Amino acid sequence: MRPNPAVLFLLPFLAAAASAQTARQEKTINLPGEVSVEMATISHAGNLVAAISSDHSVRVWSVRSGELLRTIEGGKAPSALQFSNDERLLAVSDQLETYRKGTVKVFDTDTWKVQHEFADEAPVYWLAFSADNRHLAGAGFIDSYVWDLPAGKKAATLSPPFGGTNSMAFSPDGAWVATADCDTFVRVYDTSTGALHSATQGNLLEPWTVAFSPDGKSLMVGGIDKTILVIEAASGKISRTLPKQPGLVWSLDVSPDGKHAIVVYTSAGRFLDTNHLALWDLDKGAILAEFQKPGITIQGGTFVRDHYLFAVASGNQLTLWSLP
Amino acid sequence: MLTRRDVLQKCLTLGSAVIASHVSPEVMLAAFQDREKQIRKPTPVNTLGPFYKRLAPVNDVMRAPGDSGVPLNIAGQVFDTRGDIVTDATIEIWQTNHQGYYDLDGYHYRGKRQVDKSGGYTFESVIPGHYPDKSRICQHVHYLVQAPGHKTLVTQLYFATDPVFEGDSVKNYVRDPLIQTPELIRPVMLTGDPNEVHAKVRFELCLERL
Repeated sequence: MRPNPAVLFLLPFLAAAASAQTARQEKTINLPGEVSVEMATISHAGNLVAAISSDHSVRVWSVRSGELLRTIEGGKAPSALQFSNDERLLAVSDQLETYRKGTVKVFDTDTWKVQHEFADEAPVYWLAFSADNRHLAGAGFIDSYVWDLPAGKKAATLSPPFGGTNSMAFSPDGAWVATADCDTFVRVYDTSTGALHSATQGNLLEPWTVAFSPDGKSLMVGGIDKTILVIEAASGKISRTLPKQPGLVWSLDVSPDGKHAIVVYTSAGRFLDTNHLALWDLDKGAILAEFQKPGITIQGGTFVRDHYLFAVASGNQLTLWSLP
Repeated sequence: MLTRRDVLQKCLTLGSAVIASHVSPEVMLAAFQDREKQIRKPTPVNTLGPFYKRLAPVNDVMRAPGDSGVPLNIAGQVFDTRGDIVTDATIEIWQTNHQGYYDLDGYHYRGKRQVDKSGGYTFESVIPGHYPDKSRICQHVHYLVQAPGHKTLVTQLYFATDPVFEGDSVKNYVRDPLIQTPELIRPVMLTGDPNEVHAKVRFELCLERL
């Protein structure tokens, strides 16, 4: 039981509070009127930011200038979005019928024409591109998929025994795709065939997020257990557990050099309030910096050169912050 | 379009179906018609997460003595889509306490059990609360139902008394973005005196055969 989760949530940070809040506000983007941001993502190079908003449109802005570059309308209920690693593609999933039918459109970010459309699948709520931009993965509550973009067709359907998948990540070489599954397993599949390579059950509660190390040798997994597990990608064995996390691990990003990770937290009673972010030193197993603000939701982010750029939503404002 | 009833009647008329029984075709047809009335739609699916926890204890009395909240009895039966009782199903349920919090450290309000010989089950619990985050998610109980030879069912039970529905769950179920059909919203029978209200809900489950 968590009789007072807010207090429990903050306790581990009281000592570190003085060093917190080192993030710098870079830019604020205002959306029209009563439109609020529901989900956002930043491209890996940090040049573009895109958001799904409450009016069911997808807007894309320049990070540098804040200029609105495109508004994609006509979606019924957009449920996820992601840029390819080279920023040339933007994938947007749309839920046409709850749990039953969805579509994924892949837009060219120069012409904004639809390059690929994958329809007649179950809806997906998480999207990921492989580093070579060859494969796109979508995680859903029923089935998850891997699409081969050059071939323009589905490469694999990944179906855990029950519950679906919370998130997915490709290995750096694109050979494997890992899933954080609702049945508490972390599974690794062959990207091209969908063959199961390994299944790890290290959590009692659901894993929410999974990320490969830059060398592809290990996976980091976080979730409701308030743990971050390090798993050997080849064997599926748990090799390390990071110190107890201060909240439910909503998402994690590993830096390109593999030395740091950004972890976004939430709490049990208000699990949609992702308002706490920490920069971890993975070698030392210690928090180096934090960002926490009430009334916001931290959205997607990316490591850009020497800092982490991330988007924060609050009402009809989308604010970009950087953490050195 | 021909119904199965039409087809059977034609088969009997044409002799394509032979009844190896002393009862008349009329009696057999009546029995078939009775049986056909029991054909069921699979229970609609819903999300599993995000707070599923494995290794839940075998336990159908989840309410501990002294627990706050409105005591709740959930009961039902498990069928397949042909209307047959499923006697070997395992039902696992989990929910928040009356304040809307899941037990993440332990297994309070998490339990599982086998159905009985009639496919029946009961759980003793409390009416779950709304999530404290003021999201539009209604009060609910998560279900994971597994039986050999059947597709695993992941669904949720909702309560017609939920204030979000304002007394009209058929019209207002769409207020919760996760509810795709009012079929999962069950009527609540309140019993007892005003100082000690108990709630009862029936939730029949229908599994698809593999």
